[in-house]
Amino acid sequence: MIKERFFGGNGSSAEAVLPSELKSGADADQLPRSSLKLGWVQPMQHDAHAYLESDLSSLVLSPSFNAPTGNDGVVVRELVGRLGSICKSGGISPTSRCQVAGISCHTTPLNSPPKLNLSATNHQPQGVPAQGNQMAASQFAPFADDPGLVEKPARFPCFGARNRVGIGAQLGLAEAGKLSRVSSSQSLMAANNGKGVAISDATMEMSRFGGRVSYSSSPGASSASDSLATTGAESNGRKRKAAPKCKGKISPLSPPNMNPPKEENSGTKKCKLREDREQNINGSRKLGEDAKPLEPPKDYIHVRARRGQATDSHSLAERVRREKISERMKLLQNLVPGCSKVTGKAVMLDEIINYVQSLQRQVEFLSMKLATLNSQLEFDMETLLPKDVHHAHVPFPHQLNELDMASSAFSFSQQPLKIAVPDSVDGFTDATCQFVDFEEDDLHQYVVWMGFGESQATGHSSHCIL
Amino acid sequence: MYRRSFKDTRSSLGSPNPNFSKPMVALRFLRALSLVRRSGLGACSPSYRARGIRRAAYACMAASAGPRRAWSRALLRKIRRRPGRGLRRPRAVIWRHRPVGGGDRLEVALRRLVPGGGCMEYCRLLEEAADYVKCLAMQVRLMQTIVDSASHV
Repeated sequence: MIKERFFGGNGSSAEAVLPSELKSGADADQLPRSSLKLGWVQPMQHDAHAYLESDLSSLVLSPSFNAPTGNDGVVVRELVGRLGSICKSGGISPTSRCQVAGISCHTTPLNSPPKLNLSATNHQPQGVPAQGNQMAASQFAPFADDPGLVEKPARFPCFGARNRVGIGAQLGLAEAGKLSRVSSSQSLMAANNGKGVAISDATMEMSRFGGRVSYSSSPGASSASDSLATTGAESNGRKRKAAPKCKGKISPLSPPNMNPPKEENSGTKKCKLREDREQNINGSRKLGEDAKPLEPPKDYIHVRARRGQATDSHSLAERVRREKISERMKLLQNLVPGCSKVTGKAVMLDEIINYVQSLQRQVEFLSMKLATLNSQLEFDMETLLPKDVHHAHVPFPHQLNELDMASSAFSFSQQPLKIAVPDSVDGFTDATCQFVDFEEDDLHQYVVWMGFGESQATGHSSHCIL
Repeated sequence: MYRRSFKDTRSSLGSPNPNFSKPMVALRFLRALSLVRRSGLGACSPSYRARGIRRAAYACMAASAGPRRAWSRALLRKIRRRPGRGLRRPRAVIWRHRPVGGGDRLEVALRRLVPGGGCMEYCRLLEEAADYVKCLAMQVRLMQTIVDSASHV
């Protein structure tokens, strides 16, 4: 949960600088850096208007802002910039919103290195945030061209309940970068200690759109939401033209790696209904809810009551939870083959359970098969692995060399194990090492227990079973 | 000999992408297999080896999934638990927040299936189950490929 202060770059200088760079799309990291840095610092003390009025491009992103966080920070900046732009122009193209929403979707504060890598690998072979910056910048360029772009019919999928995967696929951009951006912005916020730091309207906007952001202010930025609230009220620019479908319902997303405390918080949440600012937006969009004053943000989730539904906090929480669950179920549905036509939680769950059981049985069966095969054959890893794998594993050059020396894939003869293999062990990672350690111990146990007969092994295996 | 080489290996592959690095899993698994084989000459009964291989498979799966997943952590913990230890050191087990409402037999069954599923909330459970299923499927495909290529030659 991050409340980002998307600094609208207070200075016109910043704005002037940024657009050009933004449009250039290239080397966005470098140029805006210094100017944006200004933007970061100054807007802190400025009030909402300043940044709201700032140019779209100014948002972009001070890649550099955070030296400490490095590239991540850069990306976060971009993210923040994007958010700012969304807030600002209000008429941001849905795509950008979508992207931002996508960002937010994946924005689990700080802890998304795995997702970061994931999306990086998915969308960027390089997986480098720097690339993401460039991409982000380049993507921003078109938006910069249409600052007053009225939203097009929402074609981005981030509305409503979309699973993260879908969004990621659609956005297809350096979400990794965005993720890191978010994380760095949070660190920034922490550093600023909530001084004048407001959650970007865009974030809330995004959460509305994508319905996926559940954010809570970090303790250090408690004042952020307050300031945000005030600024939000003032910022009329932000029209939520987006998601016609999304009736302003925010389904908070608790990222998978959110800590349990946060889960609890979300459950116990203080639901904060949207403020007046949202009501400003579209009269039609306006839902019949009360605009409560902002509560001091302490890990709360923004939820908006749907039209014609109960607005008390308990039912909102329930609804949020139900939507989360249904989201996950959809995810599972996609994973389990043959479950697309199944409706209903119970049947779905049943299918899932059967599938998992069958997979586990398959693992057992295949391991038995491998065991018998192992005794006959000698594996040659080189042939088993695709060629590209060899190139991918740069850390194991020595292993590769040794593998190259291997003669043939499988030999039925009982040749002594190649000496190369043990050396490759050096390349193991920690995890593998752990496993290896365990494996070795286990094997020792096996050896020791061989004499004790089957029963020991059975007892042993029973522990292994789930 | 094994210990020495094992302890040496601290090089990190970086944080592996969870579930999306099939070659990583393959590599790990093959290494594990070779290890099993190397020491497996002692474990002459195929059932021993089968269990070792199954454990290796789960360990590789969990290792490549990354420590960020609750199920991978729980799985590794379970695997590394030495079976000989009947008496655990009485340490303060932080039994995490245990969800109530085990009336739904489906949910209970799912909890049993997914490693580490005993103390998660329902949402978390579904998430972890999704990830677990993905990883399991990948592992099964990998093993199938290995078996096929092994028996093919």
